[in-house]
Amino acid sequence: MSDKNYAHPEALVTTEWVEGHLADPHVRIVESNEDILLYDTGHIQGAVHIDWRSDLQDQTIRDYITPQQFSALCERNGISNDTTVIFYGDKSNWWACYALWVFRLFGHTKVKIMDGGRDKWVAEGRHLTRAVPHFAHGHYTPLETRCDAEIRAFYDQALAQSRAGMALIDVRSPAEFRGEVTHMPEYPQEGVLRGGHIPGAASVPWKMAVKDDSTFKGVNELRQIYEDEAGLQPGQDVVAYCRIGERSSHTWFVLTYLLGYKNVRNYDGSWTEWGNRVGAPIERG
Amino acid sequence: MYPGKLNQIIALFESLPDAEKRESLISYAAAAMKQGPRDGETFDLEDIRKDEECTDTVGVFLKVTPQRNCAFRITLGPQVQTLTKAMTAILCKGLDGLTPEEIMEVPADFVPKIVGAELVRQRSQTVYYILTRMKGVARVWLNRERSAVPHGG
Repeated sequence: MSDKNYAHPEALVTTEWVEGHLADPHVRIVESNEDILLYDTGHIQGAVHIDWRSDLQDQTIRDYITPQQFSALCERNGISNDTTVIFYGDKSNWWACYALWVFRLFGHTKVKIMDGGRDKWVAEGRHLTRAVPHFAHGHYTPLETRCDAEIRAFYDQALAQSRAGMALIDVRSPAEFRGEVTHMPEYPQEGVLRGGHIPGAASVPWKMAVKDDSTFKGVNELRQIYEDEAGLQPGQDVVAYCRIGERSSHTWFVLTYLLGYKNVRNYDGSWTEWGNRVGAPIERG
Repeated sequence: MYPGKLNQIIALFESLPDAEKRESLISYAAAAMKQGPRDGETFDLEDIRKDEECTDTVGVFLKVTPQRNCAFRITLGPQVQTLTKAMTAILCKGLDGLTPEEIMEVPADFVPKIVGAELVRQRSQTVYYILTRMKGVARVWLNRERSAVPHGG
């Protein structure tokens, strides 16, 4: 567990903690990556692979799977309603946070992030295996509906947030925020027609929240970034967005679990919806 | 439609079930780190750079024999994704010995045949990047060759 004075220190575990719980039957370790074959090249012993696209998203409509599909996903990965799920992955845990956020959409609250993600585990020389684990099926009772209203924002809600002058956090790179580029650095164009940001949004790139080793900064530094510099206040309703919702999941995790904000929503439609939407208001610069 | 060695690799991948296809990609990705220049090798062109389109630096080295057969060596930074690594080893093998003109004519539509349509998707488009870089170097070599030819009056 973390000792950085986080609001919910239980939401973070260290690599040491994970290594000590590899055989814990109440724990399931989940790797979730951007690099689609990275898990196959080697992973933490006992970790299962959950893919942000093929496992968590509907394969036709831009939306998430149903509660019944989520239940089946969990059961085939040996996850039951009371299983504690530890997420880790590449890219400083972008997709681990995204997967955790999606698990929360389905009401699974026993979730944690391995601080520092896959890079830290590898940098520490800890063991990786290519053996894919097989677990007895879990028993998962699904919710009737997803908890979208609590932690997910849609276009209309983000627009209302903008018009009301309420807190909007744009976690993309500064050049994306300013509208100078329509893709993030080091990535190909992903199909956005307009550049810029949602009117009134504050630019707080996701990376501000992590140190060079991909672990999260301490609570004092985080408060300085999000409150002193970006102007957020505890208790505010906050909507975070990026391009497709993974970097903003990372910031959602920081605000929700590390700083203890109670009303943070991730606008997963993000810029790939807003920047293509006819008539959506845009600010540049 | 595709040059011989590349065609053989494509045919092999198309015959594989998904699980074996992934295993083969992992094997090729592991082999990517052996595609760099070897001691004592010299090249006609070297193009080492970090582009916006890729997550790390990629170096492309081209040697063209007097018979106009190309041999590529490629170096990859550590942040390059696994699929891109796999494609590097596949292309170094599959395009070996082609002429620069033949390199330029290789269509990119073989990529989904090797990788599988499920893996070619948003956030994995860099699988096309290595071929683009190899063609870029071949194009520069051809331009230099043309400019070196004496023009008649």
